[in-house]
Amino acid sequence: MNVITSPETVTAAAPAGALLLRVLDVRHYTDSLFSFRTTRPASFRFRSGEFVMIGLMVNGKPLFRAYSIASPSWDEELEFFSIKVLDGPLTSRLQKIKPGDEILMRQKATGTLVNDALVPGRRLYMLSTGTGIAPFASLIRDPETYEKFDEVVLTHTCRQVAELRYGIDLVEAIRGDEMLVELFDPGKLVHYPTTTRESYQRQGRITDLIRSGSLFADLGVPAFDPTVDRVMICGSMEMLRETKALVEEAGLAEGSNSRPAEFVIERAFVE
Amino acid sequence: MTFVVTDNCIRCKYTDCVEVCPVDCFYEGENMLVINPDECIDCGVCEPECPADAIISDAAESAEDWLAINAQYAAVWPVITEKKDPLADAEEWNGVPDKLRFLSEEAAETA
Repeated sequence: MNVITSPETVTAAAPAGALLLRVLDVRHYTDSLFSFRTTRPASFRFRSGEFVMIGLMVNGKPLFRAYSIASPSWDEELEFFSIKVLDGPLTSRLQKIKPGDEILMRQKATGTLVNDALVPGRRLYMLSTGTGIAPFASLIRDPETYEKFDEVVLTHTCRQVAELRYGIDLVEAIRGDEMLVELFDPGKLVHYPTTTRESYQRQGRITDLIRSGSLFADLGVPAFDPTVDRVMICGSMEMLRETKALVEEAGLAEGSNSRPAEFVIERAFVE
Repeated sequence: MTFVVTDNCIRCKYTDCVEVCPVDCFYEGENMLVINPDECIDCGVCEPECPADAIISDAAESAEDWLAINAQYAAVWPVITEKKDPLADAEEWNGVPDKLRFLSEEAAETA
């Protein structure tokens, strides 16, 4: 196995049209989760919540996977939040990157978890499990989200407490960021982390918490209402299927870029 | 796993899917688009964008024949990477059942 990450050799080997990102910072949270920040090419544009293909040169060939961009569209750097899969073709290698390395990115960002795919409403729910929080990490740092909605509820459900750390640090950083606080009221953001395997202040799968009404009781709001509530969902295939069925039962319709509606879904990409 | 284009694309060819595909895996025939199953990353973003609801997951039972058709024409038609105007009478053809008989095997004319 030969993985190229040194700047000169990546530049020489990169496929046509691929952009190069210089790694600036890497943080490991658990055995299975890490985040990293990179430079952002001046030509690269995206909407908060979108994903893009990133990759490495492996054995002389580019290997790409879809990653949600965790940083907001105004940020001069890019941020990603990734799982580590022991025998994952990309993540087993990507988890070894360090500052100064270069990775590849394709130029086209896309996705459905964007403000444009929702019709106006009052309250925006972002329901996530695992690395599915990544697109929401982008959206909750974008002032546009708070211009469109009076209240933003971010739920994040993981097996273990340690897996919630990225989201907890993120929300703390937003509340303490003087520049962001000038642009929007962080009081509009409600963070609702839960665990499924370890003891924590709130426990349970988000689907169970919706079904039982606990989510709404804890927030002190009525159940999903298609006239005021909008929902974005990002998690495993199983979580998506179940949660989609619940919001459809509540009368919300699925939106897209060309036909905005009351909810949108996207999978948390896994290898 | 991949997504595939089915017959309701035929004689419509709206191309909204092309705009959102992160890997540019749509290929263009004279009156239909297809997905290259080897290039599709199964992200699903194109599915809700199609005004004709012509895109389905190959996990669907009805997808088997479409998978073969998509693979066959993706190998010979040119790639399409940018949205363009739909065919002139797309609105009239959207929803007409069993359009496979109208499929043109011709590749799209490239500019």
